[in-house]
Amino acid sequence: MTANCTRIEIGRLLRAGTAGFVVGCRVSQVEAPSFGALVSVPQNAGYEIFGLVHDIHIDDDGLVRQLVTAEGVQEGVIADNRVNRNVPLEISVLAVGFKQAGGIFHMLPPRPPLSLDQIFLCGESEIRQFTSAGRFGYFRHVLRAQELPVGELLAAHIQQAQAAHQHAGNSTWTAAATQELITLLRDDYPTLMAVLSALRDVVALRDADQE
Amino acid sequence: MSLDFQQVQDQVRQLGETALERQRDLDKKRELADQLLEKFARQFDFLQQRVEQAAHNDPTLRCALPLSPKVAAPEALNAAFPTPPLPRKATILAADGSQISPDRHAEVQYCLINVGTIQMNLNSAEPPRPIIFSKLLYNQELFTTHGMITDATLALMRDTNERTKLADLAENLEKPVITFTDGQMELMVSAGEESTTGFQKYLEDYRLALRRLHQQGVIVSGYLEKPFSSPLARLLEVASAPDEKLAKIQEYHPLQGVMDFGIFSALLKPGERSAIFSLRSPSAKFYKDELTLHFFYLNVGRPGRHWVARIDIPAWVARDADQVDVLQAVLIDQCRIMGGRFYPYLLHRAHETAVVTFEDKEQVTQMIVLELRRRGAVVGERSQKQEAKETAGRTRYK
Repeated sequence: MTANCTRIEIGRLLRAGTAGFVVGCRVSQVEAPSFGALVSVPQNAGYEIFGLVHDIHIDDDGLVRQLVTAEGVQEGVIADNRVNRNVPLEISVLAVGFKQAGGIFHMLPPRPPLSLDQIFLCGESEIRQFTSAGRFGYFRHVLRAQELPVGELLAAHIQQAQAAHQHAGNSTWTAAATQELITLLRDDYPTLMAVLSALRDVVALRDADQE
Repeated sequence: MSLDFQQVQDQVRQLGETALERQRDLDKKRELADQLLEKFARQFDFLQQRVEQAAHNDPTLRCALPLSPKVAAPEALNAAFPTPPLPRKATILAADGSQISPDRHAEVQYCLINVGTIQMNLNSAEPPRPIIFSKLLYNQELFTTHGMITDATLALMRDTNERTKLADLAENLEKPVITFTDGQMELMVSAGEESTTGFQKYLEDYRLALRRLHQQGVIVSGYLEKPFSSPLARLLEVASAPDEKLAKIQEYHPLQGVMDFGIFSALLKPGERSAIFSLRSPSAKFYKDELTLHFFYLNVGRPGRHWVARIDIPAWVARDADQVDVLQAVLIDQCRIMGGRFYPYLLHRAHETAVVTFEDKEQVTQMIVLELRRRGAVVGERSQKQEAKETAGRTRYK
């Protein structure tokens, strides 16, 4: 395993396929991952799978439904249901690439991760490393996933990647990423508009932050 | 379809035809029960004497008795006590148990006792602490002097383990400590099964656990919903029986069908408890002095939806008004946690912690099979009947 001890573990793998996987964690662990975050699953011999969080899902059960109807749920009961009860929070991840023999590849991973593998949140240096490799090849995995909120997912990802690049003094990454998206979506006007509309909010947010 | 629904439908119709008549009959008996309750509410000495006489004729008599003055001042049978204030601090412990019984159709023979306990501090934001105790029984442990271990023995083992684990956990906890278990406090075994189940041994362990809880000053209780027996109604029958009927009291049931929880559902407002009664039963001889069994009824419902549970307590709790108050207040608080389900939250969680599902059982069986195979030991086969039962159902040509 190549797990870096400074990384934040967000959970363990529940089920997986080549195109994506689902991670389970306790509700109390939910602060770490966020929509659009880049995560990785370290495997043996330097093989590591990367993915983007596209859904965070909280299931209920009979007891939780019952408690919702109660007046003023006690703090201890809330903590019991979040910490002790076996109702995992599910995080769905879209596979966007992998690392092998030191190289980053924006292709679907050759093998999916295995049950109970640990999943880590990528730090800024890993985000820069992954997003700078090649020419945004991983965008096609997102654009192909028509059942996902593609515009929102790309906007959330670009916002996080943009921050990582800016902290390293690179202010051109966002423009290059946006240009690549325009090129990829030049024949799909509705999706392009949805993506650009979401990206506009990211740019507005960045400008507001800088002011 | 394995039922003949036509036959069942005819019988359901017959049941419906007599339902209203039975309802009217039951209403009359309920009225009689209310009148008798009012009449005998404070006749403590008379009730004691009457039950003694009846028990002399029928040693299997099971009924309520007013509190003995040796324990505490008797309370009127129809008294109601409002919910006292919740203590600022308390430690609540609940336990429940389940088991895997030996399955002669399975490929390996074993059984398992699982006890789930959960500890919660009142008015604390800390999550409760669940603890599970799983005990696998195999080889010689599966046999008693009467042959293969039975479900009745496993049930005794489970109940004894529940109480023992509570006694273990209660040590060194901040007082007051309240424990709940689901069901009555009496260790039960069917008549005639005492020797085959090793009842005496488990009873000793059970009483030892109760004595330890007493020494620790723990408020012990058993929570019973919709019990089949109605000890107060039976007391009223005994009290009102003509002298000539006392000789054959086991055949005298003018209140048959009247349930105690029905009587108290009308009598108690939400949050109120009934008087405390002691329990006269054939097994009462096993629980003496501080362990003597007592109970009260508690309306854990809300206005417009009354729900009455029976709460079993030992004598050391019954004699201490403060302990009874704490128990009543904590139980009402627990029963309000789950909104419209009037059941103690922590008991529900203890059940969730303890329950062994069919999938769990299959998993344990496979673990044992794999371990035996890994070591080259012989693994048995499932019965032909079991294999036949699990034959795949009809499939469709695609």
